Amino acid sequence: MWYNIFKFEIQYRIRRADTYVFFLFLFLFSIVGVDFVFQGVDLGVLKKNSPIVVAKAMGAITGIFMILASMIMGVSVLRDFEYEIASLMFSTPIRKKDYLMGRFLGSFAILVIVFSGVFFGLMLGEFMPWHKPDDLLPFNILTYLSAFVQVTLPILFFGAALFFVSGTLSRKLVVVYTQGIIFFVMFMLTKAITNDTIQAILDPFSLTTLTLITDAWTPSEKCIQSIPFIGLLLINKLVWITLGLIILFYGYKKFNLSSVKKGQPKSKRVQTLDAGKSYDSRLIKVPNTKVQTSIAGKWKQLRHFSWFYFVSIFKQPSFWGIVICGMIIILINSVNLGTVYGVDSYPATYFIVEELQETSIYFFIIIMVFYSGELMWKERGAKLNLIYDATGMSSFMNVLGKYIGLNLIYIVLMLALILSGVIFQTLNGYYNYEFQVYFYGFFLEILPFLALYTCLSFFVQALVNHKFIGIMIVTVVFILIVFLGVLGFNHNLYLFGGSSLGSYSDMNGYGDFLKPYLFIKTYWMLFGILLLVISSLLLVRGMETQLLRRIKMIRHKVSTRLMKFSSGVTIAFIILGSFIFYNTNVLNIYWTDADAVDFRIAYEKTLKKFEYIPQPKLVDVYMKLELYPELRHYVAEGQYILKNATDHVIKEVHIQKQIESNTTLDNVTFEGGSTPNNTYKTYDYVIYELQNALQPGDSVKMNFKQTYRTRGFQHDASNENIVENGTFFNNNDFPSIGYNKKYELNDSDDRADNNLPKRLNKASREDYNELGIARSGSDSDGIQLEMIVGTHKDQTAIVPGNLLRQWTENDRNYFHYKTDQTIINFYAVVSGEYITKKGIWTPSSSIDINPVNLEIYYHEGHDYNVDRMMTSMQSSLAYFSKNFGPYQYEHLRIMEFPRYAQFAQSFPGTVPFSESIGFILDIDDHTDVDMAFYVTAHEIAHQWFGMQVEAANVKGKHFILETLSQYAAVMVLKHYYSEDKVLQFLEFQKETYKDGQVREQFEEPSLALVENQEYVYYAKGVINMYEFQKVVGEQQVNLAIKQFIRDWNTTDGLLKTKTYRYATTKDLLSYFRDIVPEDQQHIVSDLFEE
Amino acid sequence: MKLIIDNLSKTYSNGIKALQNISLEIPQGMFGLLGPNGAGKSTLMRTIATLQEADQGSIFLDDIDVLNQKNELRQVLGYLPQQFGLYPKISAEVLLNHFAVLKGISEKGERNDLVKALLQKTNLYDVRKQNLSGYSGGMKQRFGIAQALLNNPKLLIVDEPTAGLDPVERNRFYNVLSELGERTVVILSTHIVDDVKELCTNMAIINQGQVSLKGNPLKIIEELKGKVYKKTIEKSELESYRQHYQVISEKLFLGQPTIHIISDVNPGNGFSLINAELEDVYFAQIFNQNTNLKTIS
Repeated sequence: MWYNIFKFEIQYRIRRADTYVFFLFLFLFSIVGVDFVFQGVDLGVLKKNSPIVVAKAMGAITGIFMILASMIMGVSVLRDFEYEIASLMFSTPIRKKDYLMGRFLGSFAILVIVFSGVFFGLMLGEFMPWHKPDDLLPFNILTYLSAFVQVTLPILFFGAALFFVSGTLSRKLVVVYTQGIIFFVMFMLTKAITNDTIQAILDPFSLTTLTLITDAWTPSEKCIQSIPFIGLLLINKLVWITLGLIILFYGYKKFNLSSVKKGQPKSKRVQTLDAGKSYDSRLIKVPNTKVQTSIAGKWKQLRHFSWFYFVSIFKQPSFWGIVICGMIIILINSVNLGTVYGVDSYPATYFIVEELQETSIYFFIIIMVFYSGELMWKERGAKLNLIYDATGMSSFMNVLGKYIGLNLIYIVLMLALILSGVIFQTLNGYYNYEFQVYFYGFFLEILPFLALYTCLSFFVQALVNHKFIGIMIVTVVFILIVFLGVLGFNHNLYLFGGSSLGSYSDMNGYGDFLKPYLFIKTYWMLFGILLLVISSLLLVRGMETQLLRRIKMIRHKVSTRLMKFSSGVTIAFIILGSFIFYNTNVLNIYWTDADAVDFRIAYEKTLKKFEYIPQPKLVDVYMKLELYPELRHYVAEGQYILKNATDHVIKEVHIQKQIESNTTLDNVTFEGGSTPNNTYKTYDYVIYELQNALQPGDSVKMNFKQTYRTRGFQHDASNENIVENGTFFNNNDFPSIGYNKKYELNDSDDRADNNLPKRLNKASREDYNELGIARSGSDSDGIQLEMIVGTHKDQTAIVPGNLLRQWTENDRNYFHYKTDQTIINFYAVVSGEYITKKGIWTPSSSIDINPVNLEIYYHEGHDYNVDRMMTSMQSSLAYFSKNFGPYQYEHLRIMEFPRYAQFAQSFPGTVPFSESIGFILDIDDHTDVDMAFYVTAHEIAHQWFGMQVEAANVKGKHFILETLSQYAAVMVLKHYYSEDKVLQFLEFQKETYKDGQVREQFEEPSLALVENQEYVYYAKGVINMYEFQKVVGEQQVNLAIKQFIRDWNTTDGLLKTKTYRYATTKDLLSYFRDIVPEDQQHIVSDLFEE
Repeated sequence: MKLIIDNLSKTYSNGIKALQNISLEIPQGMFGLLGPNGAGKSTLMRTIATLQEADQGSIFLDDIDVLNQKNELRQVLGYLPQQFGLYPKISAEVLLNHFAVLKGISEKGERNDLVKALLQKTNLYDVRKQNLSGYSGGMKQRFGIAQALLNNPKLLIVDEPTAGLDPVERNRFYNVLSELGERTVVILSTHIVDDVKELCTNMAIINQGQVSLKGNPLKIIEELKGKVYKKTIEKSELESYRQHYQVISEKLFLGQPTIHIISDVNPGNGFSLINAELEDVYFAQIFNQNTNLKTIS
């Protein structure tokens, strides 16, 4: 008997279009599945079809589209109730067991067939032309088959059981639609589990499980080895299958073969009113009312509709399920905020908002996609449509009411999330709620996004006139738009919705990025309104469902008033669009990604020949810089002194202006006169032929005026360095000499596609040219710097050098800085509204230098860790001066800058420090490593490694700069805190190192030959250096470093002054070898050259 | 106030000719549209109610061109579809209020009075706070009528309102309908002859998309006066009677077939003359297309 039902179920589904639509959808999606799931992830050694990659993609896709399982399984029994044939069914002598088993197995079989689309799609995806052969292993069907069986099938079974039972027992369609979210919540909940093993066992889609079981594998094993179906993965699957069986059993017990829902009290039915008092209908006068068609009437109507549809969703338990899940997830999930090396930040509102946005966006999208379908079909779902359609109601008012109602629903969820955020902050003892940041984060960022996509969703529903297919198309369109953006079709004028608003910074708020954002959102909102108008005209009214007929009927539907309204909107849309175009493409130059690539290629092909031609070096910079932060604008009048340090006579000086349309370079003059050769003007590269050739050893003065002007707004986030509060840019923005390698195309695939030679990340240690350069574009072997900086009256401007004078003029602040010694040609300009914390470090009597003035410039309210940073400055200066040689300046300044970038960087005597990485860390001295202290120490170490000793721009450079700084910082940490803290810190580094190894695409280099691999020079570097000093002794290591600095100091190194070149790891390691006893020499090679 | 349907035709994409050259003139008062299931009644009703397009022909309510001035018509239209659902978790009062807004009665006080009056009129006032999911079929139909009356319609279209109602409910429903014809064009479609008999001053019989008869029910019955005969026969004789007489209906009476025939002269043979009923007219039209009773007016 069950077999008949099973057969019937399959036959029924086979005839249904949605079965094929679902399959096709999964199939098509899965073709790009791997690319989608791993979009933006650096696969490293892994290939696009490595077993682990396929398995994870399979898990993720199954997870994302679990909702389809809900639509298939949930309706299986529900259908009988929907079509009201349940009583017919159940009056037949059918056994519960047969009925349920047949239905379940039949639907499950169909479900597996539908999801086999993932299996076939992923396989086909492997053969898509955009994959490079290098990215793939040989095709192996078993990879896909085993992933499908191991990852997809078990969880599909669980999902099938859950959805089948919930659909069967609840008998509500809306439960079916929304229960997919339950799965998502479960997944998020498992993410919050801190125990890796338990998390791996419970992760429904096995993503964590797969990561954990392959954790111990070597990168090459990860690449090729298939996933064994044992251990955690097996347990994971058994857990979910068992849960599925339990649910099925529960469902079986609870289900009752009767068409009346059990537990529905009879009393709910209204008794027919025989007994009640009866009115004589003839006696009742129906008042004569007027139908209002005035604007005021329409407005009242709109308000009523909005509220009506809002309440209709608001009252649904499924909506409250979503709200409560959203709130719970945040409370559980946001435990790790703004984490730097395992230390969390204070729950500042913008962290909370970002966390809320990140996790809740799925909820919003689900609400958007499903409830817009629900609302558009509400009347038809209730079979009330004919009554609605025959009234004088304007379709547009109705659609608009639904639209507003749905947006009100979003707002409710937002308010609930904000509430949960505030609760979270309160629980964590943080009371600076900053409601305006909550408001911005939700009502400026999320709401416009949802509002726009809701228009789109309504439009699609009206167009295709099929709820499920509409939902799918909306999903596909959504993904497509995201993809188009990724592919570089990203102009705000045509990419639906435009770009998102940049990060919020405590220092700079949304800065100047808010205005264009609002323009663009308004522009799209006008478009959205037009979509709604069209939706209302296309929407089925009456019996005609054919699209063509509906289009023809539009003329009957559109009223003069609506016509006028839409014309107005269209005109506003065009005007605003033109205004945006004027800003992005006329005032500013719009570069497509392809344009940018082409430009870089041409730049390299044309100018590469100049890379190593003899050019003078910069020895002195004098500059008057007027900053206008409020306008994002500056004027720099500068004078360079260029010295011919070569043996050649130099007749031409090549000047490269910053390639940035907002920057203009004027009045370039050379002492003695020059003629510009504008052949390469396209690349902002001008060759000045000097009237008087520059003899070896001679110098020439060059004057220039550079202006940076922000005009209107650009199509993407414009310059984040020159902002209202927290300007931070460095001298690379000013004119530089000769060919700039930084403008070359970087991506190795793009290079290969365009027949450009492979680009080395770092030149070999024998490269003659690069050995003479300390940094790409350094242009100098050291300069004297004098700068007069003017800025807004509320701001302080800081550049390297001693502050000679500070004054106010024309209601602006001026600062005059001058160095008293040679610095490297690397200086930053920082300007912001700051609170200053001052301190002093007095060296011990054994060190013969002056006391150092310490200053920390920070944003008001960010004083949590300023004392820790100050302590670190003092401890670091003491330790480094004692062990590596004296500190060279009389000042040391830390300046906070907005979180658009997340790093701290050392310049001579100055350390710009991002607001996101130290200032608001919530450090618990018992459990955490004091990362504010550590990062400060690291940056101060750069005053030695980087400012005193520079490294040649070849392999191993970062060993000298970064690894040594890491080592130095760890030593300070050890002395100020304890060895335990160091070990704790090294644990994090080991993890970072392991992660890096997995991502490495090529071979892992040794420290001595490290290129740009952070995981090597930061993480492995500090681990090995620590090991090294353990073995040979801290004092010994410090001594070696001290001697190395003495000999290779850029300005007065004993060896450096005798050669043109900078130090390499070869030099450094020779000092290391000197301190290691003869019989232990191998450890130097083991630690640094392996 | 008059509804004029002229030469209206509609063929569905599957080839079914739902309406064929329908022409009707419907004055104020109750108009019954009688026909079997699938005759095209609902198509005609929906077309008048602006919900469906016609292939040809025209419909005018006074000077409103129904097929082209849908919005104008909808302002003065009340429509109760053959089948409709209700939002289950809403009370009658709330939903009726919602419909009132839908129809443009946006003044709150006015609307509340109106809703109250209509709920009383349809005898739903005492259950106005109850969820509609608990309503019986008759209550639902009365609610349907209440919503159709909200905008004080000049044209009221009621599509098969009494199908599935028990006699008590049906009576109650008639009471609500009966007074509406005084100022309004009311079109009532039904396949139940009694509906027309009890309510309508004018009627048309529609079958297979065509109007087979139209006129005043009493006059129509008058035409058949003295022509309808009845006889109770054996089952086995049925076939031969069909061949020899113009049989318009066959019914079982206490298990025995009873046939009605039309004959201009007394057929004898045990037939007895009976008073013609509207039902006889209807069956004559439906069962016997050859009858000469094409138009009576």
